[in-house]
Amino acid sequence: MIILLLFSLMVIAAIASFFLKKHAFVYALGVSAAVLIVIVFYSVLRFHSGYTGGYISTFTYGLASKIGIFFSIGVSSFSDALLLLSAIVIFVAVAITRKKDYVPSIYSFMILIEIGLFGILISRDFLFFYIFWEVVLIPAYFIVAEFGGKNKDHVSLKFFVYTHIGSVFLLLAIFTVYSFYYIHTGIFTFQISSLMSVKYFAMIPTTLKYFAIFGFLFSFLVKLPSFPIHSWLPDTYETAPYPGTVILAGGLSIMGGYGLFGILLPVGSLLGNTVLYILIGLGIISLIYFALSAMMQYSLKRMMAFASAAAMGFVTLSFGAGILETGIEQPLELAGGMYQILAHGLIMTLIFAALYFINQKAGSDNIYSLGGIFREMPVLSSSLLVGLLASLGLPGFAGFIGEFSVLVGSFQAIGWVIILVIFAMIITASYHIWAAQRSLYGPYNEHLGAIKDVSAAQFSILLFMMIAIFIFGIVPNLYYGSFLAYLGALI
Amino acid sequence: MSAAIYWYGWLIVISPLVGFLASYIAGRKYRITAGIIASTAIGLSLVFSILTLLKINSSGQPIYNHFKWFFNIDAGIYIDHLAIIMALMVSFVSLMIHLFAIYYMKDDPNKHTYFAETSLFTAGMLGLIVASNLVLFFLFWELVGLCSYLLIGFWFFKPNATAAAKKAFIVTRVGDLLFLVGMAILYASLSAHISVLGANSPLSIPYLITNAKAIAAAIGPTTLGIVSVLFLAGAAGKSAQFPLHVWIPDAMEGPTTVSALIHAATMVTAGVYLVARVFPIFQASSSFALYSVAILGSFTAIYAGILGLVMNDIKRVLAYSTISQIGYMMAAIGLAGIIGYSGVAYGIFQLVTHAFFKALLFVSTGAILIALLELRDIKKMGGLWKRMPMTVTLLLIGAAALIAFPGTSGYFSKDTIISASYVYYLQGGNIASLLPWLFLLIGSLLTTLYTFRMFFLVAMGKPRSDLAEHAKDPKILPLIPLFFLAAGALFLGIVQPQFYGFLYPDYVMPSLPYYIQYLPEVLMVIGLVVTYFLYATDKWKKLHFDKSPWYKIVRNKFYLDTLFTNIIAERVIAPVSAGFGAFESAYNKAIDSIGTGTVGLGSRMRKLQNGIVENYFVIILIGMSIILLIMILEGVL
Repeated sequence: MIILLLFSLMVIAAIASFFLKKHAFVYALGVSAAVLIVIVFYSVLRFHSGYTGGYISTFTYGLASKIGIFFSIGVSSFSDALLLLSAIVIFVAVAITRKKDYVPSIYSFMILIEIGLFGILISRDFLFFYIFWEVVLIPAYFIVAEFGGKNKDHVSLKFFVYTHIGSVFLLLAIFTVYSFYYIHTGIFTFQISSLMSVKYFAMIPTTLKYFAIFGFLFSFLVKLPSFPIHSWLPDTYETAPYPGTVILAGGLSIMGGYGLFGILLPVGSLLGNTVLYILIGLGIISLIYFALSAMMQYSLKRMMAFASAAAMGFVTLSFGAGILETGIEQPLELAGGMYQILAHGLIMTLIFAALYFINQKAGSDNIYSLGGIFREMPVLSSSLLVGLLASLGLPGFAGFIGEFSVLVGSFQAIGWVIILVIFAMIITASYHIWAAQRSLYGPYNEHLGAIKDVSAAQFSILLFMMIAIFIFGIVPNLYYGSFLAYLGALI
Repeated sequence: MSAAIYWYGWLIVISPLVGFLASYIAGRKYRITAGIIASTAIGLSLVFSILTLLKINSSGQPIYNHFKWFFNIDAGIYIDHLAIIMALMVSFVSLMIHLFAIYYMKDDPNKHTYFAETSLFTAGMLGLIVASNLVLFFLFWELVGLCSYLLIGFWFFKPNATAAAKKAFIVTRVGDLLFLVGMAILYASLSAHISVLGANSPLSIPYLITNAKAIAAAIGPTTLGIVSVLFLAGAAGKSAQFPLHVWIPDAMEGPTTVSALIHAATMVTAGVYLVARVFPIFQASSSFALYSVAILGSFTAIYAGILGLVMNDIKRVLAYSTISQIGYMMAAIGLAGIIGYSGVAYGIFQLVTHAFFKALLFVSTGAILIALLELRDIKKMGGLWKRMPMTVTLLLIGAAALIAFPGTSGYFSKDTIISASYVYYLQGGNIASLLPWLFLLIGSLLTTLYTFRMFFLVAMGKPRSDLAEHAKDPKILPLIPLFFLAAGALFLGIVQPQFYGFLYPDYVMPSLPYYIQYLPEVLMVIGLVVTYFLYATDKWKKLHFDKSPWYKIVRNKFYLDTLFTNIIAERVIAPVSAGFGAFESAYNKAIDSIGTGTVGLGSRMRKLQNGIVENYFVIILIGMSIILLIMILEGVL
C-alpha cells in the first residue's frame, strides 16, 4: 500500500512540477530526496529480513476486468533493488544539474522518468508495464532533443525510433502471449504472473512461441543494450546533456536487465538451448566488442558509454548461462547478473556525474584536451578514478560482486570460453587505466588555465555515490541474499 | 567452527584502515600529523600481531573467525603459524619504513596522501595475510595492487611514473584475472562434488588446506593442477616472476620508500605467500604443479640476475635483485614437491630475511638518493663511503645479507634453499630435477656480481659527479629505523631452527657432502674478487661490452618489454581496437542510413503528392492498366 501511495504522490508531484519556474530545482530535489528516503526505509523494513521470494505490497484494482486489464502492482526484492537504484540515480541527476544551464522543465522530465521507471518496476500487469515502458521513453527523448549537444535532433530521433522498434516487438509479444492464454483458458488477463508461467507459455505453438520470445528478447536487448542492436547507445549517451546521460546510464539501463530477470526469467527454461547459447554468445561478444571499441575513443563520455554497454554484457551472459546451468552455480550466476545491473547503475552514475563536473570546470571531456588535471582538481580526479576503478571491476566496489559471481558461475556452462571473458576484462582494465593516465595524470595541460576543484556540495554528491558503491561492494548481502530468495521462488 | 570472535586478530587489519582515514583527514589540515598517525596505527598492528602470536602459542590452535559474506562465500580471518609470521614481518618492516618515510617525505606537499595510501596498503597486505577465504584474499590482493598503482604514480606529474603505474596495474591485472579463472574452475569443480564439499564454502582457505587430498581425489589431480598453475600465474603477476616481472623495474619511478615497502619487502612477496598459503592444494595436484613452481622460481632467479648485471640505475639493480630473490622463495616452495613441507619453511624464511635486508638496501638507497637529489645512475656516484659512512655501511650490511655472506641472515635462508635444491635432485633422480639447483647456484654467483658491482661503484673510487662529491650523511635520527632493519639483516639467522620448527615441527635440514655444500660460498668469493678488481678500481672504465651482441640482448631485457609493449600492445591490441572502433562507426553509419533512407524515401514520396491533378490522373491510369493486365493474364477476365 505504501508503494501505491508513494507512486500516486509522485504522479501528482510530477504534474505539479510543470507549473513551477523559479523553484523547480528545489522542488525536484525535495521530491527526489523524499522518494529516495521512503524507498530506503521501505527496503530496510520489508526486505532486510524475512523476505522469502515472490511479490509483496501487492495491490490490484480492476479497470476493465472483462478484457483482463487490472491496475496491479507488487514489489519483489529485485524490483526493490532497482527502485532504490532509480531513486538514487534521479536524485543525483537532479542534484548535479546546474540551474543556469537548463530550463526548469528538465527537472519535470526527470521526475517523469522516475515515475516511468517505478511504474515498470512495480507493474504486475503487462499493459501497464508496457505503458510505463513507453512513458520513460518520452521524457528521455525530450531531455536529449531539447538539451543535448551537437546533432541532438538526429540523435534523439534515432534514440526514439530505435528503442521504439524494440517496444513494438514487446507489444506484439505481449499480445501473442495474451491471446494464447485466452485460447487455452478462456480468460482474458494481462497479469504477468499468469501469462509468464511455464505451463501456459509452453502451450503456445512453436513458431509463435519463438516469435514471442524473440519479441521479448529483442526489446530487452535493445535497451540493455547488447551487440548488435546497440547503435543508439553511444550516440545518445554522448549527445545527451550530462544529467541526461546519468539517467540513461544509471536509470534506463535497468530496463533491459529488469526485462530479462524480472519478466522473462520465469519462462527461462522454455527458451531452448540454442537461444541461450546465442545469449551467452551475445554477452561475450558485447564484452569484447565494446571494450575494444572503447579503447580508442577520445571522448571520455563516449568511452564510458561503451564501457557501460560492455558491463551489460555480463548481464546477458549471466542470464544465458544461468538458465543453462544446474546445481549450486545457478543461483550464483543469476544473482550475479542481477547484482551487476544494480552495481552498473551506481557506478555509471558516479562516473558521469564526475565527468559532468570535469566538463563544467575544464570545459572538455576529451582525453587529449585534459591531462594532468589531478594537480588542479585532486578531489574531483580521485572521485573519477574511484568510478573508473569500480567500473573495471576492482574488488571492494559493487561491480566486483556481480562480475565475480558471473565469472565463477559461468565456468560450468561455457568452460574454457571463459578465457574470452578474461581477455575482455583485461582490455577493460587497460583502457580505463590508460584513460586515467592520459586525462588525470601526467604534466598539467596549461591551456586549461586555472581551474577550481569541486565545491563541498558537489563533492558530497560524489561522496554519496562512492559510499554507496563501496557499501554494496563490501556488504553484498544487503541485496544478494534477497535476490537468492527471489530466485529460489522462481526456479 | 564458531569460536568466539578474537578481536586482536581483526584489529591487526582494522588499525591501519583507521590509520588510513585518520592520517588523510588530519593530514589535510596538519601535514606533519599524517606520518605520525600512520606509524602509530601500524605500530598498533604490530602489537596486535604479537598478542595474536601469544594467543596462538598458548592455545596451539589457529584462529578462525568467519561469517557468511554472500551466497556460499564466507569471509573472516584465519591466522595460523604461517599467517602470524607474515603479519609480524609486514607490520614490523612497514613500521620501520613508515618511520623513515617521515624523514624521506618531509618536504613533499602531498605527504598526507602518501601516508594515507601506505597505511591503506599495509591494511591491505595484513588483510591479505589473515583472510580466511580466497575471495576475501583476492579483495585485499587487488587492494594492495591498487595502492601499488597509486603509489608508483604518486608523483603524478612525472610521465614516467604514470606510465609505470599503468604498466604495473595492467600486467598484474593479467595475473590476477588468471588467478580468478583458477578460482572459477575450483569453485565449479567443487560445486559438482557436493559430497566432498559438504556445507563448506568452496573457496575457504582452511577448508581447502585441510581437505586437499579429498578434493584432489574428487575432482582429479590434473584439474587441481590446472587450478594450481592458474594460481601460480596470479602469484607470478604479483610477485614479478617471469614473464610477468616487467612492471617492477619501471615501478622504481615511485618514491624510494614505496619501492622499499611495496616492491621489495611486502607486496611482491604476496604471490609467494599465496602459493605457501594454499600449498596443500599444490601438493595434492599432479606433480607438474609444484615442478612448475620450482622451475619458474629458479629460472626467474637466474634470468633477473643476468638483467641485474647490466643496469646502471641503482634502484633498478635492486629491483632485479628482488625479482631474483623472490625466485628463490618460489623455487624453495616448489622444491617441497619432493623434499616435503620443509621447503615451504625454507621459502618463508627467505621471504622474511629478504624483507629485512631488501628493505634495508632500499631505505639506505633512499637516504643516498636524498643526498644526491635523486641521481640514480651508479656510474655517476662513487666514493660515497667516505662521504656518507653511516648510510653506506648500512647499504653494505644489506648487500652482504643479499649475497648470503656467511653469518648474515641471508646466508642461513638462501644457502639452505640451494642445498635443498640439490637434495631435490638427489631424491628426484632425473636430469629435470637438476635444473633448479643449477639455476639457483648460478643465480648466487650472479647475485654477488650485480650486488657488489653496484656497491663498489657506489662506495669506492672517486666521486664521478658534483652531487656525489658533496654528498653528506643524514642526521642520526632518521637512520634509527635502519639500524633495526640492519640488526634483522645481520642476526635473524640465529633463529633459523626455531623458525623452521615454528612453521613445521618435523622439518629436516638438507645435509650434503661438503664439496656441494660450500659451492655457493666458493662462487660468492669468486664474485667478490672479480667485482672488487673491476669495480672498486677504475678498471671497469676500460671494459667495453657495448659492441657485444649479447650485451645488447641483455640491455634490451631479452626484448620482453619490446614484445609486450611494442608488439602486443602497440602492434596488436591498439590496431585491433582501432579496427573495432572503425567498424563500430561504419556500422553506426549503416544503421543511420536506414533511418535517413526512410526519411529520404518519404520525402521522395512526398513529391508525388504535388497537387497537380493531371499527374494523379496519369498514375491512376497506369495503376488501373496494371491491375487489368494482371487480371487478364490470370484469366479472371
